[in-house]
Amino acid sequence: MAKLLLIEDDKETAEEITAELADCGFTVEWASNGIEGLDKARSLRPDAMIVDRLLPGMDGLTVIEALRKDQVRTPVLVLSALGAVDDRVRGLRMGGDDYLTKPFAFVELIARIEALLRRPAESRDRMLRAGPLEIDLIERTVKRGNREIDLLPREFRLLEYMMQRSDQLLTRAMLLEEVWNYKFVPATNLVDVHMGRLRHKVDGPGDIPMIHSVRGTGFILRTGLGQ
Amino acid sequence: MRSPQFIYSTTFHWALTVAAVLAVFVTLLFGFIYWNTDKYLVARSDSMIAGIVNIIAELPEERRLPAINQHLKEDSRSVQYAGLFDADGHRLGGNLEQMPPKLKLNDSAQSVPVVRMLRDGHEQDRVIRAIAKRLPNGNLLVMGRQVDEANKISHIVGLAVALGLLPGFCLCLLAGAWLSVRAQRRVEEVNQRVQRIVAGDLRERLPYRSVDEPFSKLAIIVNGMLDKMEAMIHALAGVGNDIAHDVRTPLTRARLTLERGRTNATTLEQLQTVVDRSITGIDQALTIVTALLRLAEIENSRRSAGFGEVALDAMLDEVRDIYEPIAENKKITLHLQAPQRLTVRGDRDLLVEAVANLVDNAIKFTPEGGKVGIELLRGQGAAIVRVTDTGCGISAQERDAVQRRFYRSDKIRNTPGVGLGLNLVAAIVKLHGFKLTIFSGPGCRVEIVCPDGPEWTQVVQTSTRRGSIPEPLGTVVAGS
Repeated sequence: MAKLLLIEDDKETAEEITAELADCGFTVEWASNGIEGLDKARSLRPDAMIVDRLLPGMDGLTVIEALRKDQVRTPVLVLSALGAVDDRVRGLRMGGDDYLTKPFAFVELIARIEALLRRPAESRDRMLRAGPLEIDLIERTVKRGNREIDLLPREFRLLEYMMQRSDQLLTRAMLLEEVWNYKFVPATNLVDVHMGRLRHKVDGPGDIPMIHSVRGTGFILRTGLGQ
Repeated sequence: MRSPQFIYSTTFHWALTVAAVLAVFVTLLFGFIYWNTDKYLVARSDSMIAGIVNIIAELPEERRLPAINQHLKEDSRSVQYAGLFDADGHRLGGNLEQMPPKLKLNDSAQSVPVVRMLRDGHEQDRVIRAIAKRLPNGNLLVMGRQVDEANKISHIVGLAVALGLLPGFCLCLLAGAWLSVRAQRRVEEVNQRVQRIVAGDLRERLPYRSVDEPFSKLAIIVNGMLDKMEAMIHALAGVGNDIAHDVRTPLTRARLTLERGRTNATTLEQLQTVVDRSITGIDQALTIVTALLRLAEIENSRRSAGFGEVALDAMLDEVRDIYEPIAENKKITLHLQAPQRLTVRGDRDLLVEAVANLVDNAIKFTPEGGKVGIELLRGQGAAIVRVTDTGCGISAQERDAVQRRFYRSDKIRNTPGVGLGLNLVAAIVKLHGFKLTIFSGPGCRVEIVCPDGPEWTQVVQTSTRRGSIPEPLGTVVAGS
């Protein structure tokens, strides 16, 4: 099971996060300040880290910077009460892999941790497959079984992203950030509308549905048909 | 003893300097007058002496002495000097005791000290102008004149200086002292008012009198600034109240739900429903806070570091791409018309956000079967992004209100939203030095006017009015 390191100075928050992650089957180590966090990161070699930005002793970003200097490539999710876009960009530039603004929903946190742990390997493959779905990244064509699916460019990008992360929960915020490159949350339920169209094309009449929505959270592309 | 305060004031120092300069100038002026007058008088006297010397020299030998005596007798002011000496220097006549030793025999007028015998037998030392001439018979003729006018003139000039300069100097000092005391009094007056403003009385204004006085002009300018700041502070307070209200509403709802649920829920399912509803309420409050923070972030942003060339046509295409399915769902035609490539300097993400907000609004407020248009136009020295719709429009009464935070028209009460969208657009537009214009008419038309070139950061004060286009309703002007 994946081992996580949580660096968070607020004890109550840390306890809640630890409990929730444990429920999802993760082993969680907790450090309450930056220096302790850096030590544990070096000694425990966690699979992923959750780092609060503002920490006593040593700032969260400094911890990440120090780790990256040591060539430690552990994926890091930065937590922060500072939600400003500039801040987010800084967090990512300093070596964070993802950034989540407090307060957040647990599903969002778990989905992002899962995504970090199962980051798709850089592949040079031309074809991407997920269950009966197959896309050609060069020809820009999509097939489900033998049926050709005609997608608009934006739909193609969405499907490509979902196939790289099949069987993972993808939250609306993640999709907005990654597929639409949106740095803000639009008023309208953009993601649902686009997903609705994509689902309409991917899951034809008579097909077993592959794109599933998770109520109030996001979507999953399931490959294991019949689950 | 403490010297009066005004002594240290700049005004007084200036007055002192001016007075000193005036004194020097006047002294030089009078000096010049004195010197020139003196020169003129001496020259006149010299020519007179020369004339008499020549007349006497021309006379036959025996008539010279009587002529000299006659000449001296006629001299009522006793300023004339004359002497006739033989070749050995013995006195032959006139009122000079002896041949002045320093007088040169060169027929030209010189200043020499002489000793004169007065009629009462006394002797008098004087410096006079005199000419010595050797006569054909070897005798020496000396004619002289005391130019005492110069002394008199110097006396007059001195008096004039004293009479003119001293009062002038004093007047200068007095004026300086008065001005500086007055200035200090006004500064003190202003200070008292400012202290009152600092203490929280925002309605206080600086005193001013006539319009043409610099102090009053300054006071009027500052008062104008205070008016604006007062309005802004009131607006801010209003915003604070709005925020409190808008954040409290969903929180109150959540709290009530939780409280009631705690007492009434009997099954786990019921409790879960209660919690879900509470979370929705809290999320709503958080959405507002997030939107406000975002707004504050943009409004306070001075950054242009993230600015680059943004191709408006491509950007609009992307926005269209994102919103097309949403429009289609609502059976609204979303049409993009961007025939030319236009670029501006700006932050791409923010500009996308602004246009997306406008399009989002347009789709939201347009009934089914309507039309939403995105256009990219080339205006006078500006690129214009125009978003039009066939919705309910924004009435003239609401033109300013729509840019206020949390404003939601009564017509759209039932549409979901926070009421910060246009605010955000306005803030982004302002940050870029662009201009946001809202037009009335059937439906709604909103334009972002992006001026070209290096002046894009400058304040754009005049709204561009063109032909058939109606008067803009509300305008956000950069830097205003």
